[in-house]
Amino acid sequence: MKEPTSSLIRSVTNLDYDSIKKREEAPFEYWGPTPYEARKAAVAKKKGLHDKRTTLKEAVAKYIKDGINLGVGGFVNTRVPVAIIHEIIRKGAKDLTLSMQSNSICTELLAGAMILNPDHVSIKRVELAWWGYEVIGIAPLFRYLVTKGMIELDDYTNYGMSARFKAGAMGIPFIPTRDHGGSDMELVNRGKMIECPFTNENVYLVPACYPDVGIVHVPVADMYGNSRIFGALCTCPEIAQAANHCIVTTEQIIPSESIRQYPNLTEIPYAVVDALVEQPFGSYPGACYGYYWFDMPEFLQFRSICDEFRKTGEKGKLQEFYDKYIFGCETFDDFLATRPYKKIKELRLGDKVQPIITT
Amino acid sequence: MPEYGPFEMIAYTGSRVLEDDTIVFVGTGLPIIASMHAQLTHAPNLNLIFEAGSLAAILEQGMPLSVGDTRAFRKAVFAKGLCGVFELTQRGYSDYAFIGGAQIDMYGNVGSTIEGGTYSAPNVRFPGSGGAGAMAANCEKTIAIMALEKRRFTQKVDFITSIGFGDGSPDYRKKAGVMGSGPYRVITNQALFGFDEKTRRMMLLEVIPGKTAKDIQELVSFELLISPDLKEMKEPSEADLKLLREECDPDGYFLKRKVK
Repeated sequence: MKEPTSSLIRSVTNLDYDSIKKREEAPFEYWGPTPYEARKAAVAKKKGLHDKRTTLKEAVAKYIKDGINLGVGGFVNTRVPVAIIHEIIRKGAKDLTLSMQSNSICTELLAGAMILNPDHVSIKRVELAWWGYEVIGIAPLFRYLVTKGMIELDDYTNYGMSARFKAGAMGIPFIPTRDHGGSDMELVNRGKMIECPFTNENVYLVPACYPDVGIVHVPVADMYGNSRIFGALCTCPEIAQAANHCIVTTEQIIPSESIRQYPNLTEIPYAVVDALVEQPFGSYPGACYGYYWFDMPEFLQFRSICDEFRKTGEKGKLQEFYDKYIFGCETFDDFLATRPYKKIKELRLGDKVQPIITT
Repeated sequence: MPEYGPFEMIAYTGSRVLEDDTIVFVGTGLPIIASMHAQLTHAPNLNLIFEAGSLAAILEQGMPLSVGDTRAFRKAVFAKGLCGVFELTQRGYSDYAFIGGAQIDMYGNVGSTIEGGTYSAPNVRFPGSGGAGAMAANCEKTIAIMALEKRRFTQKVDFITSIGFGDGSPDYRKKAGVMGSGPYRVITNQALFGFDEKTRRMMLLEVIPGKTAKDIQELVSFELLISPDLKEMKEPSEADLKLLREECDPDGYFLKRKVK
């Protein structure tokens, strides 16, 4: 039998033999819809322009189910879909697979909910590139869950995850990339080294990622869901188009005439959006270009509550945070109402009014 | 010479390493500060890629605190997403990857995923590759900032997150399917390292004034090659420190940190 194609990683890896063998022997499976299932889901949708506006409660109740692959948009602290995450935690969802490139507070919030009550929210596995807070520090709950062996991981690079969503958005089963090969990710993730049929050189294939539900927050959209993004696109257009269903929150609904005036500015077309919710400050405490900068003290405070739990095992303060700010709130607006106007004003000024086009 | 802190030395050395008329793909923190300093001094036409998707932003709102910070998109010439800038990189338009990590070995392989234990139940779990693995693969040259400690300059990296020269074989990177030429410089506050062309092993190029090659070797777990042309590291001038402290990181997010 022909040896499988690979780099020379085995001659240098320090990974334990069992981890490598486990991955080698596991048959490949998509951790969400297959390309065929994803195609069926898209075909089944009504393609007319319809008013997609709804509430977060309705959108989450309709699309978020146990066992789904949830594609989380944004990037670390930027344009992260925090309002949707709050609603998912209120509703509850078990055995989630999370897919993302890099995230911080959204996935920490889900992890905290799992630690407090795994019968209400639980994460089964995560396909990711990065989970942390950058300048603020490591993500304590991620470290807790992983070192305790409580969640399964599949590690890629930020490009790898982005390319996987892109492959999903393109409707293809995999995409070749020039990274992962020669690193330990080659041994443990679900990608595969092959010999390119055209160059006869090694090239690394990563499987497409099709989330069941993509969640993204955008600066502006019209009522049909056509979305315009300013600042970093992150991987939001790809996640939205790869997902079987997509929930979009937006800072502001703008007239459809504006969308038709500048169609080049549309990053997510209406057809892939299933539910649209106007939710100002929907990324708070994250940042949204053109609207507000991120709230550093809020990040620090939530992170310190989580870190205290990681170090002491005491759940009291964590429970208090969730009881007060998530379960104690009917809507995300109720949560925002707990933050003083002065703070909101400061964050608006912190963005320094980056220029955006809304008309 | 003026007094300076260890992170100021790292940022200044990072700046020295970057050439003008190039594109640098930066990670959070010191790489941003080093690049800003280079732009303000010898490399006015050095342009930055931030991985959330911007090229050649003007950092007039201050240092971005994150590579996805809205400030990192101010007056950019191109603002897309991760796919946009990583595709540019894969195509060959990023000259430097500027990364950090928890561990590095003599062939410049960098770990930032786990420390100790097994992959599924590690003793310590770090955030993961993020952009680093892709940057080290496909930017042309990789610059890494590391803390100079024995446990970090290690014989074997627990998890190779960012590819270096692998096991040192001449065709390691080719067989890995990556495009960049690989490790170029490793920057610490007491020493600057490069890589020997023939053996691809880490080589001491410069040491901080007052230290010797032997002092540096004692902080490294593997055997270092010593450049036959070993130099003293250049120290930042008053003017450099003023730029770093007042223009690049006025709030001291990175420069004023204490060494653990």
